[in-house]
Amino acid sequence: MAGTVVLEFPSEYRFLNIVDLVCGDVVQNLCDNRETANEIAISVIEAVTNAIEHGNCECSDQNVRIAFICREDRLCVEVEDCGKGFDYTCYLQNIPDPANVYHLRGRGIFIMKNMMDSLKFEMVPGHGMKVRLEKVLKPKAGGEIRKD
Amino acid sequence: MRIESREKDGIVILDLQGKLMGGPDAETFKATFHKLLEKGQKRVVVNLHGVDWINSTGMGILISGYTTMRRGGGDLRLLHVSDRIRSILYVTKLNLIFKCFDTEDEAVASFLDG
Repeated sequence: MAGTVVLEFPSEYRFLNIVDLVCGDVVQNLCDNRETANEIAISVIEAVTNAIEHGNCECSDQNVRIAFICREDRLCVEVEDCGKGFDYTCYLQNIPDPANVYHLRGRGIFIMKNMMDSLKFEMVPGHGMKVRLEKVLKPKAGGEIRKD
Repeated sequence: MRIESREKDGIVILDLQGKLMGGPDAETFKATFHKLLEKGQKRVVVNLHGVDWINSTGMGILISGYTTMRRGGGDLRLLHVSDRIRSILYVTKLNLIFKCFDTEDEAVASFLDG
C-alpha cells in the first residue's frame, strides 16, 4: 500500500481515538509484526498528544494535521501543530534516570525516540512544529510489502 | 474513561474502561484515590482489562495514583496489562515500580501474602 493518508482535526483529546483507529488500519496493511504495530501506534499517539497539549495548548480552534506516508519499506508519519514550538532536546535523555522515574510528565518524546527508527522536529515558519517519525518495516509474512 | 470500584477480600479493585489519556481523566483519578485514602482503603488493584490504550499522560496519572497510595501508607498494583501498555512500562522503566499481575486472584493475593 503506497500512498498518503491525511487527517486534520481540532485539538481535542477525543480525536486521539480516531487517530489510533486510522493508524492501526494503515499499519495493518503494511506489516504484520504486532510489536512493530504497537510501537508505531504508541509513538503516533504520543506525537499527537504533544501537538494537542504543548503545541496548540488544547485550543480547539487550532488544528492538528497528521499524514501517514506509506513507502515500500517504511512508514513515515508527520504530525503538525500550530504552536510556537518548544525545546524538545531536554526531553530526549532524562527519563530512565531513576531520579526521574516518578515524574508525572515528559516521557512522550523519549518513548517516540526509543520506539521509532527516526524522530525529527522542524519548525515550519508561519505555521508550527512538525514532528516526523519513521519506522522501517519488515515485509509481511509470505511475501514483500504490498504495493497497491 | 469510566472507573468502577469494587472490593475483594478487603482489596479495592478499580475497573477502568476506555482510554487513559489525560484531560479530565487526571482529576477523576486524583479524586478517586484521595477518597479511598480518606476511607482508609490503601490497597488498590487497577484493572486495565478494559483499557484500549494509554499515552504518557495517562501513564503519569497512574504514577500519581501510585505515589498517592504509597505516601498514604498503601500500594497500587496493576492487573491485565496489555502488550501495548507493557511496552510503554518497559521503555520508560516504569516496570521497575509497578507490580503487574495477569489474574485478579494473583493481584489480590499479592497484598494478602504481605
